[in-house]
Amino acid sequence: MSGVDFLNLLIAALLLAGVYAAMSVGMTIIYGVMKIVNLAHAGVLMLGAYFVYELYDRWAIDPLLGVVLAFPVFFLFGIGLHRALIRRLPPSDQPTLASLLLLFGLWLVLQNLGYLIWGNADRAILTPRTLSVLHLGPITLPAVRLVVFGGAVAALAALELILHRTWFGRAVRALMQNRDAGRLAGVDVEGTARVAFGMGIAFAGAAGGMLAMLYSFSPDFGSPFLLRAFVIIVLGGLESFAGVAAGALILALLETFSIQVLPAGYQPAIAFSLLVVALAVLPEGLAGLWNRRRRFT
Amino acid sequence: MTSAEAGGKAAKAAPFAAVLLGVALAAVPLFGPGPNAIRLLFVTLVWVTASVAWNILGGFGGQVSFGFAVFYGLGAYAGAMGLNAGLDPFSSCLLGAAVAVVASLAIGLPTFRLKGPYFAIATIGVSEAVRVVMTNLQTTGGASGYRVMEHGAFHQLQHFYSALALAAAAVAVSVAVRRSRLGLALVAVREDEEGAADLGVNPLRTKLLAHAVAAALTGAAGGVHARYAAYVNPQGEFAFAISVAILLMPIIGGVGTLWGPVVGAGVYGLVHEEIIAAFPQLHLLIYGSLLILIVLFEPAGIVGLASRLVHAVKSRRRGRVDAAAP
Repeated sequence: MSGVDFLNLLIAALLLAGVYAAMSVGMTIIYGVMKIVNLAHAGVLMLGAYFVYELYDRWAIDPLLGVVLAFPVFFLFGIGLHRALIRRLPPSDQPTLASLLLLFGLWLVLQNLGYLIWGNADRAILTPRTLSVLHLGPITLPAVRLVVFGGAVAALAALELILHRTWFGRAVRALMQNRDAGRLAGVDVEGTARVAFGMGIAFAGAAGGMLAMLYSFSPDFGSPFLLRAFVIIVLGGLESFAGVAAGALILALLETFSIQVLPAGYQPAIAFSLLVVALAVLPEGLAGLWNRRRRFT
Repeated sequence: MTSAEAGGKAAKAAPFAAVLLGVALAAVPLFGPGPNAIRLLFVTLVWVTASVAWNILGGFGGQVSFGFAVFYGLGAYAGAMGLNAGLDPFSSCLLGAAVAVVASLAIGLPTFRLKGPYFAIATIGVSEAVRVVMTNLQTTGGASGYRVMEHGAFHQLQHFYSALALAAAAVAVSVAVRRSRLGLALVAVREDEEGAADLGVNPLRTKLLAHAVAAALTGAAGGVHARYAAYVNPQGEFAFAISVAILLMPIIGGVGTLWGPVVGAGVYGLVHEEIIAAFPQLHLLIYGSLLILIVLFEPAGIVGLASRLVHAVKSRRRGRVDAAAP
């Protein structure tokens, strides 16, 4: 591999990592505040992809604007889901199987609504941007990946501002550290959880729109990305936003560079192998690590 | 009569009812149903086996796995390859079960370090990874699948009775596990893993053992079905939809109960094709909605709902008697 190839792959991995981080951060918000593993994440990613697609197809709204519009729309969708389903779950400091199965059921419902509405044909969003490439000397940059990366970084920066500069953000961070202490300090647990769930879903929907600009999609679109998102947040320690960035970078680097050594058909198995490696390195498992940290606090 | 007494009576009646059901099913061919009805019953009995097997780990032990298609698929492939290598049907099924057991240990050792939902998600990963590998593995035909070459005439009833025997064996194993030390240890691990460990239960060994038993039954079910279908392929045998079906059946029927998985698989097996035929895009939508409703309102599934109805009817009748007495 020549130096230029290496540089090109490195840049491709970085650009991919931005999207992966945006895709995973929604799961982290929901997990951190509510201790719910959002399996419906895959379904929301898919809905986000079709949302942006429909806006572009019907009214020629630029996909980038579609992603921006996805935030408020999916935020409201998340609030609605919380009101209808999630708040009926008993609160818990540990992730429960009831919540997992509930969200799995929701995933099945969303996915098959997708099949009902859009059929099972693959769709793609093709704009003039899709195929254009920027050349910087020997380095080639696909324009659409650059744009999507910019969008992802902007969204993550906005989230960072919200979490560190607003009362809502403080409430979120307090609940992530300790739900009961947060309640004693006067945090509205139910209200914060509702808004946090809405934000998690908003990020998932918008990330789905970003992914739709890069890949073709069908109603089954979300599942490989759900697995990647889970690997990323596990690598990142489940509740840390910096950890999400690190996990996204690790996965993106591995996936990008593995093309050099592994047949492309095996590539989807990388995410799982990474999970096994993480487990082998941490003998107690990440859940055990999480429990140990809890015992110290 | 208290509910405990009623439960005791029901528990005593259950083996009797089970034997009756088995005999009735065994006698079905005498009444001359068409080959399609026999096929439907055959498929349902394969599902019953897998559903009962899942419940041993997921119901008694509380370890929800999204990865049982791995055992079903490996059992199907191993069974198919055994038949092609000249093994008799029974041995090829055993081979399928053995391969599934080995896989269950290989998967269980790393993933059982994870608890609850983490384990569940890790099994999604295992299932997808195995499917990817099987799709690319050329020795088993890759994505185009693997064909079973069996000489001799096709006897549908032979397949039917082998599936019936396997389902009966699965139920017997499930009852035996539930009554054994292993069953008690599984329930203890489900209720409180750390507490169980403090009382001298080895959670990892308990889970691995239950995983192996469940995998053996599921692998054998895959083998039986592979011989009937005479063809296996990664998109069919290792599909995520298979894992989902094996998880949905016991949950719909009544997770953690002895008979819930049988009821769930019966409903799923017999109704599934009708639903698919009537609503080709809607069937998973229906199951998803059902799952949501069960989690929120009736965690014990159909069996729980039925026992609640029986209780309601009984207490109303008793209320009427009380009101009539001065």
